[in-house]
Amino acid sequence: MKRLNDRLARSMVRVLRERLGLSPAQITWAAFWASAAAAVLIASRWLAAGLVLMALGQILDGLDGAMARQYQLVSDEGHRLDTVLDRASEALIFLAFAIAGLVPLAHALLAIAAVLLLTTVCDRSGFDPGFKRFVLYFGAWLPYPTLFAVIFGVNLAAYVIGLLIIDCQFQVRMDRLGGDLDTVASRAVAEEAGDRPNDGIRPPTRESFSARQIADSG
Amino acid sequence: MKVFTHILATTVGVQALDLHGRDAVLAYGFGVAIDIDHALKAPFYLRAVGLRDERGYYWRSSLQEPVAFLWIAPLCLWLGTAVPLLFFAIHLLMDYSVSFEKMPFYPYSGWVTRGWLVNVPDNVKEAVLFVVLLVANVALWLSRR
Repeated sequence: MKRLNDRLARSMVRVLRERLGLSPAQITWAAFWASAAAAVLIASRWLAAGLVLMALGQILDGLDGAMARQYQLVSDEGHRLDTVLDRASEALIFLAFAIAGLVPLAHALLAIAAVLLLTTVCDRSGFDPGFKRFVLYFGAWLPYPTLFAVIFGVNLAAYVIGLLIIDCQFQVRMDRLGGDLDTVASRAVAEEAGDRPNDGIRPPTRESFSARQIADSG
Repeated sequence: MKVFTHILATTVGVQALDLHGRDAVLAYGFGVAIDIDHALKAPFYLRAVGLRDERGYYWRSSLQEPVAFLWIAPLCLWLGTAVPLLFFAIHLLMDYSVSFEKMPFYPYSGWVTRGWLVNVPDNVKEAVLFVVLLVANVALWLSRR
Protein backbone atom coordinates (compact mmCIF):
# COMPACT_ATOMS: atom_id res chain seq x y z
CA MET A 1 0.00 0.00 0.00
CA LYS A 2 2.83 2.36 0.97
CA ARG A 3 4.68 1.51 -2.27
CA LEU A 4 1.59 2.28 -4.38
CA ASN A 5 1.09 5.53 -2.49
CA ASP A 6 4.76 6.44 -3.02
CA ARG A 7 4.57 5.72 -6.76
CA LEU A 8 1.43 7.85 -7.17
CA ALA A 9 2.86 10.68 -5.10
CA ARG A 10 6.37 10.71 -6.62
CA SER A 11 5.95 13.69 -8.98
CA MET A 12 3.99 15.74 -6.45
CA VAL A 13 6.58 15.00 -3.77
CA ARG A 14 9.35 16.10 -6.15
CA VAL A 15 7.61 19.47 -6.72
CA LEU A 16 7.06 20.00 -2.99
CA ARG A 17 10.62 19.06 -2.09
CA GLU A 18 12.73 20.34 -4.97
CA ARG A 19 10.72 23.37 -6.19
CA LEU A 20 9.20 24.56 -2.91
CA GLY A 21 11.92 23.23 -0.59
CA LEU A 22 9.47 21.78 1.93
CA SER A 23 10.41 19.17 4.54
CA PRO A 24 8.25 16.17 5.53
CA ALA A 25 7.59 17.82 8.93
CA GLN A 26 6.29 20.95 7.21
CA ILE A 27 3.94 18.82 5.09
CA THR A 28 2.76 17.07 8.27
CA TRP A 29 1.97 20.43 9.85
CA ALA A 30 0.26 21.65 6.66
CA ALA A 31 -1.93 18.51 6.73
CA PHE A 32 -2.83 19.25 10.34
CA TRP A 33 -3.77 22.87 9.65
CA ALA A 34 -5.87 21.83 6.65
CA SER A 35 -7.71 19.35 8.91
CA ALA A 36 -8.11 21.99 11.64
CA ALA A 37 -9.62 24.39 9.07
CA ALA A 38 -11.88 21.55 7.90
CA ALA A 39 -13.03 21.06 11.50
CA VAL A 40 -13.92 24.77 11.79
CA LEU A 41 -15.97 24.59 8.58
CA ILE A 42 -17.73 21.38 9.64
CA ALA A 43 -18.54 22.83 13.08
CA SER A 44 -20.00 25.87 11.27
CA ARG A 45 -22.19 23.44 9.26
CA TRP A 46 -20.37 24.08 5.95
CA LEU A 47 -20.11 20.37 5.54
CA ALA A 48 -19.19 20.07 1.85
CA ALA A 49 -16.43 22.67 2.10
CA GLY A 50 -15.23 21.02 5.30
CA LEU A 51 -15.03 17.61 3.66
CA VAL A 52 -13.08 19.05 0.71
CA LEU A 53 -10.52 20.56 3.11
CA MET A 54 -10.44 17.30 5.06
CA ALA A 55 -9.59 15.50 1.81
CA LEU A 56 -6.80 18.02 1.16
CA GLY A 57 -5.49 17.32 4.67
CA GLN A 58 -5.53 13.58 4.01
CA ILE A 59 -3.72 13.96 0.68
CA LEU A 60 -1.01 16.03 2.37
CA ASP A 61 -0.91 13.45 5.14
CA GLY A 62 -0.07 10.79 2.54
CA LEU A 63 2.66 12.96 1.01
CA ASP A 64 4.76 13.53 4.14
CA GLY A 65 5.58 9.86 4.56
CA ALA A 66 6.14 9.44 0.81
CA MET A 67 8.57 12.37 0.83
CA ALA A 68 10.42 11.01 3.86
CA ARG A 69 10.84 7.62 2.17
CA GLN A 70 11.76 9.06 -1.26
CA TYR A 71 14.49 11.31 0.17
CA GLN A 72 15.65 8.95 2.97
CA LEU A 73 14.41 11.35 5.65
CA VAL A 74 12.54 8.73 7.70
CA SER A 75 13.02 9.26 11.45
CA ASP A 76 11.40 8.22 14.73
CA GLU A 77 10.72 11.87 15.48
CA GLY A 78 8.93 12.35 12.14
CA HIS A 79 6.86 9.22 12.72
CA ARG A 80 5.89 10.46 16.19
CA LEU A 81 4.94 13.92 14.90
CA ASP A 82 2.86 12.36 12.12
CA THR A 83 1.02 10.09 14.57
CA VAL A 84 0.34 12.87 17.11
CA LEU A 85 -0.93 15.33 14.50
CA ASP A 86 -3.03 12.66 12.76
CA ARG A 87 -4.77 11.84 16.03
CA ALA A 88 -5.20 15.55 16.82
CA SER A 89 -6.72 16.11 13.35
CA GLU A 90 -9.16 13.25 13.82
CA ALA A 91 -10.12 14.48 17.29
CA LEU A 92 -10.82 17.99 15.96
CA ILE A 93 -12.89 16.68 13.05
CA PHE A 94 -14.88 14.24 15.21
CA LEU A 95 -15.60 17.01 17.75
CA ALA A 96 -16.62 19.31 14.89
CA PHE A 97 -19.31 16.82 13.88
CA ALA A 98 -20.59 16.86 17.48
CA ILE A 99 -20.52 20.68 17.66
CA ALA A 100 -22.48 20.80 14.38
CA GLY A 101 -25.08 18.57 16.02
CA LEU A 102 -24.59 15.74 13.51
CA VAL A 103 -23.66 13.17 16.19
CA PRO A 104 -23.97 13.05 19.99
CA LEU A 105 -20.87 14.38 21.76
CA ALA A 106 -20.53 11.10 23.70
CA HIS A 107 -20.27 9.15 20.43
CA ALA A 108 -17.62 11.51 19.06
CA LEU A 109 -15.61 11.19 22.30
CA LEU A 110 -15.91 7.39 22.29
CA ALA A 111 -14.80 7.24 18.64
CA ILE A 112 -11.75 9.35 19.58
CA ALA A 113 -11.05 7.00 22.52
CA ALA A 114 -11.23 3.93 20.27
CA VAL A 115 -8.85 5.47 17.72
CA LEU A 116 -6.41 6.47 20.50
CA LEU A 117 -6.51 2.97 21.99
CA LEU A 118 -5.72 1.45 18.60
CA THR A 119 -2.84 3.91 18.16
CA THR A 120 -1.19 2.60 21.36
CA VAL A 121 -0.77 -0.89 19.86
CA CYS A 122 -0.90 -0.63 16.05
CA ASP A 123 2.86 -0.06 15.58
CA ARG A 124 3.62 -3.23 17.53
CA SER A 125 0.83 -5.35 16.11
CA GLY A 126 1.13 -3.99 12.58
CA PHE A 127 -2.66 -4.05 12.37
CA ASP A 128 -4.66 -0.92 11.54
CA PRO A 129 -7.72 -1.21 9.28
CA GLY A 130 -7.64 2.57 8.62
CA PHE A 131 -11.30 3.20 9.45
CA LYS A 132 -10.97 6.74 10.75
CA ARG A 133 -11.69 10.04 8.96
CA PHE A 134 -12.04 8.23 5.65
CA VAL A 135 -15.39 6.75 6.73
CA LEU A 136 -16.92 10.23 7.05
CA TYR A 137 -16.99 10.69 3.25
CA PHE A 138 -19.84 8.17 3.19
CA GLY A 139 -22.07 10.71 4.95
CA ALA A 140 -23.90 11.35 1.68
CA TRP A 141 -25.32 7.82 1.83
CA LEU A 142 -25.37 6.88 5.51
CA PRO A 143 -26.35 8.86 8.63
CA TYR A 144 -23.41 10.20 10.62
CA PRO A 145 -24.38 8.42 13.88
CA THR A 146 -24.10 5.12 11.95
CA LEU A 147 -20.71 6.13 10.56
CA PHE A 148 -19.46 7.02 14.04
CA ALA A 149 -20.72 3.65 15.29
CA VAL A 150 -18.65 2.03 12.51
CA ILE A 151 -15.55 4.07 13.42
CA PHE A 152 -15.96 3.20 17.11
CA GLY A 153 -16.70 -0.49 16.53
CA VAL A 154 -13.99 -1.13 13.95
CA ASN A 155 -11.26 0.68 15.89
CA LEU A 156 -12.19 -0.96 19.20
CA ALA A 157 -12.29 -4.39 17.54
CA ALA A 158 -8.95 -3.64 15.85
CA TYR A 159 -7.52 -2.72 19.26
CA VAL A 160 -8.60 -6.08 20.70
CA ILE A 161 -7.20 -7.93 17.67
CA GLY A 162 -3.98 -5.91 17.99
CA LEU A 163 -3.66 -6.95 21.64
CA LEU A 164 -4.12 -10.58 20.66
CA ILE A 165 -1.52 -10.32 17.86
CA ILE A 166 1.00 -8.88 20.36
CA ASP A 167 0.09 -11.66 22.81
CA CYS A 168 0.79 -14.29 20.15
CA GLN A 169 4.14 -12.65 19.31
CA PHE A 170 4.96 -12.68 23.02
CA GLN A 171 3.96 -16.33 23.31
CA VAL A 172 6.35 -17.25 20.49
CA ARG A 173 9.15 -15.58 22.48
CA MET A 174 8.07 -17.31 25.67
CA ASP A 175 8.04 -20.70 23.97
CA ARG A 176 11.54 -20.13 22.58
CA LEU A 177 12.86 -19.19 26.00
CA GLY A 178 10.93 -21.97 27.77
CA GLY A 179 9.96 -21.99 31.45
CA ASP A 180 7.22 -20.35 33.50
CA LEU A 181 5.93 -16.85 33.06
CA ASP A 182 7.41 -15.51 36.30
CA THR A 183 10.85 -16.82 35.45
CA VAL A 184 10.96 -15.97 31.76
CA ALA A 185 8.54 -13.07 31.19
CA SER A 186 11.03 -10.36 32.12
CA ARG A 187 13.57 -11.82 29.65
CA ALA A 188 10.91 -12.07 26.94
CA VAL A 189 9.82 -8.47 27.54
CA ALA A 190 13.43 -7.26 27.51
CA GLU A 191 14.04 -9.16 24.30
CA GLU A 192 10.88 -7.65 22.82
CA ALA A 193 12.01 -4.11 23.70
CA GLY A 194 15.44 -4.80 22.21
CA ASP A 195 14.00 -6.13 18.97
CA ARG A 196 11.30 -3.53 18.51
CA PRO A 197 11.90 -1.37 15.43
CA ASN A 198 9.64 1.50 14.28
CA ASP A 199 7.28 -0.76 12.44
CA GLY A 200 6.59 -3.25 15.21
CA ILE A 201 8.03 -6.30 16.93
CA ARG A 202 10.26 -8.64 14.98
CA PRO A 203 10.73 -12.11 16.42
CA PRO A 204 14.36 -12.73 17.36
CA THR A 205 16.43 -14.79 14.98
CA ARG A 206 17.85 -18.12 16.12
CA GLU A 207 21.32 -16.51 16.08
CA SER A 208 20.35 -13.54 18.25
CA PHE A 209 18.55 -15.83 20.70
CA SER A 210 21.48 -18.17 20.95
CA ALA A 211 23.83 -15.26 21.53
CA ARG A 212 21.61 -13.95 24.29
CA GLN A 213 21.39 -17.37 25.87
CA ILE A 214 25.16 -17.63 25.84
CA ALA A 215 25.40 -14.15 27.35
CA ASP A 216 22.87 -15.07 30.04
CA SER A 217 24.54 -18.33 30.92
CA GLY A 218 27.95 -16.66 30.99
CA MET B 1 -10.70 -21.11 37.36
CA LYS B 2 -12.48 -23.84 35.47
CA VAL B 3 -15.19 -22.92 33.00
CA PHE B 4 -17.96 -24.62 35.06
CA THR B 5 -17.19 -22.36 38.01
CA HIS B 6 -17.38 -19.33 35.73
CA ILE B 7 -20.72 -20.56 34.37
CA LEU B 8 -22.08 -20.96 37.91
CA ALA B 9 -20.87 -17.49 38.97
CA THR B 10 -22.35 -15.86 35.87
CA THR B 11 -25.64 -17.70 36.34
CA VAL B 12 -25.86 -16.47 39.93
CA GLY B 13 -25.37 -12.91 38.67
CA VAL B 14 -27.87 -13.32 35.84
CA GLN B 15 -30.48 -14.70 38.22
CA ALA B 16 -29.81 -12.17 40.98
CA LEU B 17 -29.99 -9.20 38.60
CA ASP B 18 -32.88 -10.74 36.64
CA LEU B 19 -31.10 -10.24 33.31
CA HIS B 20 -32.75 -11.20 30.04
CA GLY B 21 -32.13 -10.85 26.31
CA ARG B 22 -29.13 -8.75 25.30
CA ASP B 23 -27.97 -8.23 28.90
CA ALA B 24 -27.97 -11.99 29.60
CA VAL B 25 -25.97 -12.59 26.39
CA LEU B 26 -23.47 -9.90 27.42
CA ALA B 27 -23.23 -11.41 30.92
CA TYR B 28 -22.35 -14.87 29.60
CA GLY B 29 -20.11 -13.33 26.92
CA PHE B 30 -17.98 -11.40 29.39
CA GLY B 31 -18.39 -13.80 32.31
CA VAL B 32 -17.68 -17.07 30.48
CA ALA B 33 -16.97 -16.78 26.72
CA ILE B 34 -14.08 -14.39 27.34
CA ASP B 35 -12.16 -17.62 28.08
CA ILE B 36 -12.08 -18.20 24.31
CA ASP B 37 -8.49 -16.96 24.32
CA HIS B 38 -7.38 -20.28 25.79
CA ALA B 39 -8.39 -21.81 22.46
CA LEU B 40 -6.21 -19.21 20.75
CA LYS B 41 -3.24 -20.39 22.81
CA ALA B 42 -3.89 -24.09 22.10
CA PRO B 43 -1.83 -24.22 18.86
CA PHE B 44 1.11 -22.62 20.71
CA TYR B 45 0.84 -25.18 23.51
CA LEU B 46 0.72 -28.06 21.04
CA ARG B 47 3.74 -26.73 19.19
CA ALA B 48 5.80 -26.00 22.31
CA VAL B 49 4.74 -28.84 24.64
CA GLY B 50 2.82 -31.38 22.57
CA LEU B 51 0.03 -33.49 24.01
CA ARG B 52 1.57 -34.03 27.46
CA ASP B 53 0.20 -32.17 30.49
CA GLU B 54 2.53 -29.33 31.47
CA ARG B 55 1.37 -27.19 34.39
CA GLY B 56 2.27 -23.50 34.45
CA TYR B 57 2.07 -22.95 30.68
CA TYR B 58 0.95 -19.39 29.96
CA TRP B 59 -2.59 -19.98 28.72
CA ARG B 60 -3.83 -16.45 29.22
CA SER B 61 -3.97 -13.41 26.97
CA SER B 62 -4.80 -9.73 27.47
CA LEU B 63 -8.40 -10.58 26.53
CA GLN B 64 -8.93 -11.62 30.15
CA GLU B 65 -6.53 -9.40 32.02
CA PRO B 66 -7.26 -6.06 33.73
CA VAL B 67 -5.85 -4.28 30.67
CA ALA B 68 -9.08 -5.32 28.90
CA PHE B 69 -10.97 -2.76 31.00
CA LEU B 70 -9.49 -0.23 28.57
CA TRP B 71 -11.78 -1.48 25.81
CA ILE B 72 -14.62 -2.90 27.89
CA ALA B 73 -15.30 0.44 29.62
CA PRO B 74 -15.81 2.39 26.35
CA LEU B 75 -17.92 -0.50 25.04
CA CYS B 76 -20.15 -0.28 28.12
CA LEU B 77 -20.53 3.48 27.65
CA TRP B 78 -21.48 2.96 24.00
CA LEU B 79 -23.97 0.19 24.81
CA GLY B 80 -25.35 2.06 27.82
CA THR B 81 -25.00 -0.91 30.18
CA ALA B 82 -22.52 -1.88 32.92
CA VAL B 83 -23.20 -5.62 32.50
CA PRO B 84 -19.96 -6.42 30.56
CA LEU B 85 -17.87 -4.51 33.10
CA LEU B 86 -19.51 -6.23 36.07
CA PHE B 87 -19.31 -9.79 34.76
CA PHE B 88 -15.79 -9.33 33.42
CA ALA B 89 -14.73 -8.05 36.87
CA ILE B 90 -16.26 -11.17 38.48
CA HIS B 91 -14.38 -13.37 35.97
CA LEU B 92 -11.13 -11.56 36.78
CA LEU B 93 -11.57 -11.81 40.55
CA MET B 94 -12.09 -15.54 40.23
CA ASP B 95 -9.10 -16.02 37.91
CA TYR B 96 -6.82 -13.95 40.13
CA SER B 97 -7.60 -16.20 43.09
CA VAL B 98 -5.91 -19.08 41.21
CA SER B 99 -2.16 -18.95 41.53
CA PHE B 100 -1.06 -19.30 37.90
CA GLU B 101 1.13 -16.46 36.65
CA LYS B 102 -0.55 -13.49 35.05
CA MET B 103 0.52 -10.31 33.27
CA PRO B 104 -2.21 -7.84 34.24
CA PHE B 105 -1.12 -4.89 32.10
CA TYR B 106 0.68 -6.50 29.15
CA PRO B 107 1.55 -5.10 26.56
CA TYR B 108 1.89 -1.85 28.52
CA SER B 109 3.83 -3.46 31.37
CA GLY B 110 5.72 -6.72 31.75
CA TRP B 111 4.84 -7.04 35.46
CA VAL B 112 4.00 -10.61 36.50
CA THR B 113 1.82 -11.57 39.48
CA ARG B 114 0.21 -14.69 40.86
CA GLY B 115 -2.88 -12.85 42.11
CA TRP B 116 -4.36 -12.99 45.61
CA LEU B 117 -5.03 -15.71 48.23
CA VAL B 118 -1.88 -17.43 46.96
CA ASN B 119 -1.32 -19.26 50.25
CA VAL B 120 -4.56 -21.24 49.95
CA PRO B 121 -4.30 -24.27 47.60
CA ASP B 122 -6.03 -23.71 44.26
CA ASN B 123 -8.17 -26.84 44.37
CA VAL B 124 -9.47 -25.87 47.84
CA LYS B 125 -10.46 -22.40 46.63
CA GLU B 126 -12.08 -23.80 43.52
CA ALA B 127 -14.00 -26.50 45.41
CA VAL B 128 -15.30 -24.08 48.07
CA LEU B 129 -16.35 -21.54 45.47
CA PHE B 130 -18.00 -24.21 43.34
CA VAL B 131 -20.13 -25.43 46.25
CA VAL B 132 -21.05 -21.90 47.36
CA LEU B 133 -22.08 -20.92 43.83
CA LEU B 134 -24.03 -24.13 43.31
CA VAL B 135 -25.98 -23.56 46.53
CA ALA B 136 -26.57 -19.90 45.62
CA ASN B 137 -27.87 -20.89 42.18
CA VAL B 138 -30.27 -23.47 43.60
CA ALA B 139 -31.44 -21.06 46.32
CA LEU B 140 -32.09 -18.31 43.78
CA TRP B 141 -33.88 -20.70 41.45
CA LEU B 142 -36.11 -22.01 44.26
CA SER B 143 -36.91 -18.49 45.51
CA ARG B 144 -38.20 -17.58 42.03
CA ARG B 145 -40.57 -20.55 41.73
